[in-house]
Amino acid sequence: MKIVIAGAGEVGTHLAKLLSREELDVVLIDNDSSKLAMLDSNYNLMTVVGNPTSFSVLKEAGVSNAGLFVAVMPYETRNIVACTIASQMGAEQTVARIDNYEYLKPENREFFKRMGVHHLIFPEMLAVEEVIMSMKHTWARNWFELYNGALILIGVKLRDTASIINKKLYELTSQSNIFHIAAIKRENRTIIPRGNDEVLLGDIVYFTTTSQYIEQIREICGKRTITVKNVMIMGGSRIAIRISTSIGDEVRIKLIETDREKAYKLTEQMKHTAIIQGDARDEELLKEEGISNMDMFIALTGSSEANILGCLTAKRLGVPRTVAEVENLQYIPIAEGLNIGTILNKKLLAASHIFQILLDSDSSNAKCLALADAEVIEMTAKPGSKITRQAVKDLNLPADMTLGGVIHNGIGSIVSGNTQIRPGDHVLVFCLETAIHKIDRWFN
Amino acid sequence: MKRINFGIIFRILGILLCIGAAFLFLPTAMSFYYDEPEQWMFLLSASATLAIGATLAITLRHHRAINDRREGILIGVGAWLTFALVGLLPFLGIGTSVSDAVFETISGLTTTGATIYEDIDSLPHGILLWRSLLHWIGGIGIIVFTVALLPMLNHRGGMLLFSNEVSGMGQEKLTPRINQTALRLWLCYFVLTIIITLLLYAGPMDLFDAVNHAFSTISTGGFSTRQASIAYYNSPYIEYVVTLFSFVGGLNFAILYNTIFHNHTRLFKAEQIRWYAGITLMTSLVITAGLFIRGEYATIEECFRKALFQVTTIMTTTGYSTADYIEWGTFFTLLLLLLMFFGGCGGSTSGGAKIDRMVILAKHARNELYRVLHPNAIRPVIYNGKVLPQEIVSKVLSFTVFYVLTWVCGAVLLSITGVTLGEAVGCALTCLSNVGPGLGVAGPSGTFAPLPDIAKWILSAMMLIGRLEIFTALIIFTPMFWRNS
Repeated sequence: MKIVIAGAGEVGTHLAKLLSREELDVVLIDNDSSKLAMLDSNYNLMTVVGNPTSFSVLKEAGVSNAGLFVAVMPYETRNIVACTIASQMGAEQTVARIDNYEYLKPENREFFKRMGVHHLIFPEMLAVEEVIMSMKHTWARNWFELYNGALILIGVKLRDTASIINKKLYELTSQSNIFHIAAIKRENRTIIPRGNDEVLLGDIVYFTTTSQYIEQIREICGKRTITVKNVMIMGGSRIAIRISTSIGDEVRIKLIETDREKAYKLTEQMKHTAIIQGDARDEELLKEEGISNMDMFIALTGSSEANILGCLTAKRLGVPRTVAEVENLQYIPIAEGLNIGTILNKKLLAASHIFQILLDSDSSNAKCLALADAEVIEMTAKPGSKITRQAVKDLNLPADMTLGGVIHNGIGSIVSGNTQIRPGDHVLVFCLETAIHKIDRWFN
Repeated sequence: MKRINFGIIFRILGILLCIGAAFLFLPTAMSFYYDEPEQWMFLLSASATLAIGATLAITLRHHRAINDRREGILIGVGAWLTFALVGLLPFLGIGTSVSDAVFETISGLTTTGATIYEDIDSLPHGILLWRSLLHWIGGIGIIVFTVALLPMLNHRGGMLLFSNEVSGMGQEKLTPRINQTALRLWLCYFVLTIIITLLLYAGPMDLFDAVNHAFSTISTGGFSTRQASIAYYNSPYIEYVVTLFSFVGGLNFAILYNTIFHNHTRLFKAEQIRWYAGITLMTSLVITAGLFIRGEYATIEECFRKALFQVTTIMTTTGYSTADYIEWGTFFTLLLLLLMFFGGCGGSTSGGAKIDRMVILAKHARNELYRVLHPNAIRPVIYNGKVLPQEIVSKVLSFTVFYVLTWVCGAVLLSITGVTLGEAVGCALTCLSNVGPGLGVAGPSGTFAPLPDIAKWILSAMMLIGRLEIFTALIIFTPMFWRNS
């Protein structure tokens, strides 16, 4: 499939690199040739220099036979115009990045459809959803619900309170078959574990399970549930405003903003929120504002460094859960190593959202969640495919690939050695980067 | 930088050996068809190559991706050396000495077309086909062919390889995926080869000669199946066909493809192509006039035909001959020597320093002159309607400096072996630019056979350096390339 991306900013660049690795035809358009030069010579994609809202440039980029057109330029108006032109020229699906919450409202959807804009993405809104999700499930690092919650994928970091540490996988599953450990992230490396592998202290373990066993998993991981009542937010960004309006008054929010003028303005927009003026990296101020009673600390200033430092201070002062917005992609592995619970990155969120739109429109109906160097892919088993021929234990699956769970007629279950995959089942596949090209062989 | 993964390098070279073996089976079949005594030697070489290649490719199969730029460069250089080794076998098999066989193989692969055989007409058919086939493989590039074939190279690794081999600067992509681009370039090449074969076959040439000359023409190589080269046929029709298609071989294939399938006026708008056509035509006219005044040939048509043929074949670095240009006098010889230096368009099968670079260089020089009078003037190089970034201009400048230095160093080294001044300068340039005929004994009517062995080795190295566009070949001899930090 051909994908045309307009705008080689951080989202566009990231997306282009991601997609060019996935056997897709990627064309990237930008006005600035210096932004494109490096990508053109180093990645398997084509670049076109020119204005993405110009007819001739879009024609040159081959928009007319594109399966997906993505406009991720800095200005929403240009994105919408580019999408309108592109869908007039024949692009099947269009996606525009926007900055205005109003546009997302359901009543406006039809209007944008008529204009030829099929999907809108608002990265800030995605960040807000991510924060709210981590408020609900404080003990997990990653939480993905698949097929309306029929299967759940949970990533948990193991500390010394976990009872499963130093146990072999077959010991864990022999007692009860309530989860499947699909992947383990250990020191920047992702492992697809086998029965003889051990779970170690400090691992991030990815469980697949169904909703009734979630509590049991939490217990064996030695995690407490925290009902988030008190939240401290650092930095009065638009995400912060949106969080406070979304969760209403069930959670008490304290917001610390350095800029006095801005702090005054914020009081208008955030009615239930206590606004404090000061620097959130200052320990004295944090103690004074009762940091020890906080259940969660969210750092949302424009500076990634300040956010990471703020979270580290909060962590040291006893806040159980921290969230940091890190916009510099290079800092993410460092921040993960520093034990900051959840890391927000608008670009990655936007890119993975677009990736999902793309996979939805693809006929194979695969969904994909990128976990560092491994992928989680949802595949549908075709009739007569290799995977349906034998029970899982007799299939001889390659070592860098495992099946996490299966959804049969809308009901999720865990895959064990005796599970038989039937045609039409949705299967959750975990695989390392090296195995992605093998998946097709098993399912088609 | 990461450590170089030699596993992946040898795995890909193993695959290349298999491809080389597949090509070797063609002359083998030819040899069996004519029932020549070399048939078993051919079969043995092909089978041995296949065995070694398959062993390498299979034992190292768990090495998957090219990650480092240096791995790409090593595979690029390694590919040429590997094919040179494969190409060597049949020549050794018919009793040619090692130095001669190496020279002949590399001359074939780099599409130079300089030969050490003094009696080509009596060579067996298998060997003749193999010589032309080497041209054809080397013409558009070994890597381009491999990238088109192997899905494992349809990634970033393939890009790293591709940019090393395809000649010229700023290669334009035809499609988003590298393997499709490579495939289209090959199809273009393949179809052109068939067209030339048919056109030549329609003239006074048998099928075997037609196929061989088609291979040799489109790749701008220059090997012929006749000692007298194209002059043997004494046919104006064949001369015009060969002139036209060696001109096509010197065009940028990406632009050619776009002209045929997308934008039909593209070919006539591209600046490098206007210059290329302009220079060819102007020089031909000058030489025509000169030849006519000197009364070299009877009719003005014959003067024009000989001039046009010689200019095109030299400028596109094909190097066929219908006349001995040395006999035309020093002025015309030097004029043709200048064209040897220029070469065809970037992204073509031709050698030389490339017209694109020469145009940029000339514009830059003109701007520098203007700046003597107006020191504060902003005068960037404008090429194809766009301002060229200073980095590219400086890359072109340094390329040209390296090119000239390599030429001079090569000529100096050659002179140690005892050749004349003209031979040293002429042979060094003809090999570096992958043209074919040089000056002196190695001129259009001679061969490279009388040169000392050591000179043949120097010239073989120069042909490879020229084909790999200098930088790729020279970088691996620097200590910084091998440092892992």
